[in-house]
Amino acid sequence: MTIENKKGWISWFNPFKYGTDRWMYSLHRLTGIALGLYLIAHVWETSNILNGPITWNKIMVDLDYPFGQHFGPLILSLILIAAAYHALNGIRLTIVENGLMLPRPYRPEYPYKAKSTRGLNDVLKIVLGILMIITAAIGIIYIYTGVIV
Amino acid sequence: MQEVALKGFGEVVKTVTLRIRRYDPESGEPPKYVEYKVPVQMGMTVLDGILYVKEHLDHTVSARYSCRMGICGSCGMIINGRERLACQTQILELGKDLVKIDPMGNYGTVKDLVPDLTKLFRNHESVKPYVIRDEEEPKGEYLQTPEQRESYAMFTDCIMCGLCLSACPTNATDELYLGPQALAQAFRYISDNRDLGLNERLNVLDSKHGVWRCHFSGACSDVCPKGVDPALGIQLLRQLLTSNVFVKFEQKGAPKGPDRKSVTGVS
Repeated sequence: MTIENKKGWISWFNPFKYGTDRWMYSLHRLTGIALGLYLIAHVWETSNILNGPITWNKIMVDLDYPFGQHFGPLILSLILIAAAYHALNGIRLTIVENGLMLPRPYRPEYPYKAKSTRGLNDVLKIVLGILMIITAAIGIIYIYTGVIV
Repeated sequence: MQEVALKGFGEVVKTVTLRIRRYDPESGEPPKYVEYKVPVQMGMTVLDGILYVKEHLDHTVSARYSCRMGICGSCGMIINGRERLACQTQILELGKDLVKIDPMGNYGTVKDLVPDLTKLFRNHESVKPYVIRDEEEPKGEYLQTPEQRESYAMFTDCIMCGLCLSACPTNATDELYLGPQALAQAFRYISDNRDLGLNERLNVLDSKHGVWRCHFSGACSDVCPKGVDPALGIQLLRQLLTSNVFVKFEQKGAPKGPDRKSVTGVS
């Protein structure tokens, strides 16, 4: 009797032993799930304004300081980094998944390093990585100091 | 000179533990790991290690292999967490005292390290991996320039070992996904200038479990033992299908190759 040996969804989060693209794939899934959950929580949170200003203010305080003073801003910062990553990596995927900025078929040579995950694709990753750091930094400075850079 | 070249060959360098996932279909018990201590010589591959176990320690260990030199694609397995051909992986190059060997994932396991590759071949067949023509009988040779051949040649190197399907994270959850191997082969035939079968393959490729399911994690290209780069094939196939929406892909009538005279000099 043959038995099933499926890796299952847990392998989405197993980028070890593969290349950078697999790492970015895992992070993309992770940030996507995090943003999805945040969106639900966000809609619930803002819907509390229907219960009047007293409830609203209480919810705001409860959510900002459930585990000490730094929890709210920290979560917001993480969500911001996740959003910046997810958006910019999404742009990269839109480009490369349409065959743009990829090499044309080439002749494989030992030790067989795949070119589709390197070359211009790597350049894209670096550019979008820099953009992500800038975006996240601007957001985090605003969250903590209220200064718009 | 001969002696220098062979120095150290055949000597046992160290003892390595092979932790092999065992599954016996007759007992029906869940798979378990069994460890075997193997003396490792220079140049010894994981497949050699498994064969050592089979000869000296436990005759019931099963693995599929044939050529022992990376041509047949039979001995794909997961070695230390990564899909590799056992015959092309040297134990000493792994640099570990413990080598964990699993059968390929996302396939059924027939016994021990033997995967059930039915899915791979079924998917491969479904994309019609042959040149499709509209005439009943060929009237002559279908000619092709070297450049036209280069545009798909890398995908013909596929040995159908199935490592890419095991590494693919989409395949881990979508049983019906065509997989990198079949999609790269589809691109190989569609981009062949002699082939006219795009529309015949379209209903398989342009489907829920077809080409759009790839999320480009690049794992298939990372593990491919022949450097085929299936991920590239899938993205180029997508480009071809997307551009097909705007500009109808030219695939009609006569082959686009040069005439016989310009290639051979003989008319």
